[in-house]
Amino acid sequence: MGFYMLSYLCIFVSILAAAYLIYRQITLPVHVRWELYPVQHETAARVAYGGSYLEEINWWEKTYERSLFNELRYMLPEILFLKGLWKENKTLWWVSFPFHFGLYLMIATFGLLLVHALVTLWNDYPTASGGAIKSLLDILIVVTGWTGLILGNIGSLGLLYKRCTDLELRNYSSFSDYFNVLSIFLFFFSALAASLFTDPLLEGAKAYALGLLTGGFLLNAYAPGQSIFGGVAIVSASLLVAYIPLTHMSHMFMKYFLYHNVKWDDAPNRRGGRIEASVIENLELKPTWSAKHVEADGRKSWRDIASSSPKDMK
Amino acid sequence: MNRLLKPSDMAKPSDCLCHIEPSDLSPLPAPYEDFNQVTIPPLNPDKVKHIETTLDDTVAIGIPKPASREEEEELVRRFLSGLKKLFEKENNWTFLQPLMLSMEHCAKCQTCSNACPVFEMSGRKDIHRPMFRAEVLRRIYNKYLKPGGKITAKLTGDIDLNWTSIARLAELSYRCTLCRRCAAACPIGVDNGLINHEIRKLFSQEMGIAPKEIHDKGTVQHLRVGSSTGMNPLAAKDSIEFIQEEMEEITGYKIEIPWDVEGADILLLHNAGEILAWPENVGAFAIIFQAAGVSWTLSSEAAGYDAVNYGLWYDDVQFSRVAVKHADIARRLKVKKIVIGECGHAHKALTVIADRLLTGDLNVPRESALVTLEEIVLRGKLQFDPSRNDFPVTLHDPCNVVRAMGIVEPQRRILRKIAPRFREMTPHGVENYCCGGGSGFAIMSGYNFAQWRNLVSSRKKFLQILNAFEDEPQEVPKYVCAPCSNCKGAIRDIIGYYHAEERSRLYYGGLVELIVNAMADMKKPMIRFGDEPSWAS
Repeated sequence: MGFYMLSYLCIFVSILAAAYLIYRQITLPVHVRWELYPVQHETAARVAYGGSYLEEINWWEKTYERSLFNELRYMLPEILFLKGLWKENKTLWWVSFPFHFGLYLMIATFGLLLVHALVTLWNDYPTASGGAIKSLLDILIVVTGWTGLILGNIGSLGLLYKRCTDLELRNYSSFSDYFNVLSIFLFFFSALAASLFTDPLLEGAKAYALGLLTGGFLLNAYAPGQSIFGGVAIVSASLLVAYIPLTHMSHMFMKYFLYHNVKWDDAPNRRGGRIEASVIENLELKPTWSAKHVEADGRKSWRDIASSSPKDMK
Repeated sequence: MNRLLKPSDMAKPSDCLCHIEPSDLSPLPAPYEDFNQVTIPPLNPDKVKHIETTLDDTVAIGIPKPASREEEEELVRRFLSGLKKLFEKENNWTFLQPLMLSMEHCAKCQTCSNACPVFEMSGRKDIHRPMFRAEVLRRIYNKYLKPGGKITAKLTGDIDLNWTSIARLAELSYRCTLCRRCAAACPIGVDNGLINHEIRKLFSQEMGIAPKEIHDKGTVQHLRVGSSTGMNPLAAKDSIEFIQEEMEEITGYKIEIPWDVEGADILLLHNAGEILAWPENVGAFAIIFQAAGVSWTLSSEAAGYDAVNYGLWYDDVQFSRVAVKHADIARRLKVKKIVIGECGHAHKALTVIADRLLTGDLNVPRESALVTLEEIVLRGKLQFDPSRNDFPVTLHDPCNVVRAMGIVEPQRRILRKIAPRFREMTPHGVENYCCGGGSGFAIMSGYNFAQWRNLVSSRKKFLQILNAFEDEPQEVPKYVCAPCSNCKGAIRDIIGYYHAEERSRLYYGGLVELIVNAMADMKKPMIRFGDEPSWAS
């Protein structure tokens, strides 16, 4: 029961931390534009060379259009295969790709395990298709699980090796950078060892997922302690789920904001529009910068200051 | 001295944290090998006796040394106060979200380093890594402003905070041209160029520390006199009158430059540096607009004849003041749109950054002159004889126009029509390299900074230009088209510094000069290569 409690607690912390990070982002004030081209929701013709709607004569008379399809066409290979890293830093890609893809496959495996657990619960009320679905899930779980574990081990070991041996990386790495990769390696290694030595069909994982859905009360739920490696895998995975959103590794999902709210945020400010309303609000904020030329006294707003010619310019 | 440096070394005592030997710099090809032995000339000890110089071989700001320990401590306190303000919406709503995201998600993978021309050309010196200064700021913030930071710093990256580290960080923020090639390369989307921009802001907005060329002689002069060149409205009108006469003499084409025409379709904003340093650019615009029958005007109001906005590089407050002035002038003139001349940072400042500052009737539509020119050139409003531009031409892409605004093709479509021997640099477009003069460097030349710029930050551009013309014989005149005043200034300095006019017959200029040079009804060429006209009249 202690394992399940730990997992529940970690999932709770993870959701809370991720929700906080996202909430903080969506409540920040509208900022000035700082996009960088190519902006991937532009038309396909413009995306090809990094062009923008600003290339059009009287662009403000045209409708501002965004192509979700073009955005997805870029995002999918970027997220799944780290296309950008392949282009800019191939030597790192060879270890970073298996590391990240291994993690994605682990997330996919966990999703499949939950579906498997649901189907198992459903099969208490047998249906004709239940057996076939479970068989398919069994195969998928083994394929994604094993592939993810192998890639994850290669990737995390490779990243660790690179961080230790590449002076350019080592020079800027702190204890936490090594700790992060080591923690992930610990999970990949223990899970691979558990699968290799005691559970090649990932039956323990299936049982544990079922236990997670039922509070561990079902008879066939995983009984922790059957394998040391299995136990370590459960503990390390649970702790990682809680830990990742608390670190810079939250870039796994925060990258959405880095791209959509900054790098690709090219939405023009139209008179009477939503952006203008936010800007008007921002201009009422009262800065307190101390340099004399700013002439901020905590009472003047950005609007007052921007429309003033200060006396002291130092 | 050339050992690997860590961010924590910023606080350690040393006379010069990073020294560049000639052999560290990327080698130049023939006939420029003699420059491979040239180093940055040492600072004059008498001139730098009272200023902070412990970062490297040059000085951009010239921060006075504190007179006492108490003064040092006060400066450290003010730095921390400014750093805190960078993360407050009241003080930094303008960039709060981009800053927070970039501060919190760097994986220290060094992908950005390989994209940075200054880092590459300096011989891969650590202080020039895009993430180096960002990491210094990150560590200071985490340790001194976050709760429990002094304990967690042992795990996440430690750094000491003293006046030495702060003075070095201020100087270091002026070793990056803000070209944002690093940000374009980052797979996560972290923008170390932005963090550098925020460091500059902290020093300016909280501590009043900024290079005199961009503050005292830049935005301050712009707001007080009317132009960062020091030209008041009267002087601007005189200069333009002179340009009108000159143009007729040079091209045989008589122009009338309109002033303060209420209700004109276009308010043309030039970088006033063009009026003084490249009058032919201003004249060429006038010829094209007049010949195409465009309804346009210049403004003679203070700040209205100078499109620059140096605040873009270091200070949001100064930036806002200049942007509001520009927009207000256009509003009162009741023009349909503002067209920004060949000035890259003015493009980005007024079109993109100021977009979320200007509200109501101050939000006058803004357009790049490259787009306006494309409309004129490609829609058949003028007749051209491209054979008049029968010399090799390459195009420099100003970062602010291309990477920061996505205006890539209009200038190329024009060149393909009027310059038969146009060729690209490698790489180009949104992957271009900075001219080395970005973010104010082109106008900063105190101490030995100009030499540093020519030897280090502009070096990649020089190599790119040479590479673009490598198949051309030495004696053939070659034209580097740079549709941006600051880039033009940097390229002018590269050509002068490396004697490239004599050795490779390299010349430079804007886009409008090439357009006018190819206009069929010009009696005389606008472009000359030294004493030699580009075509026989």
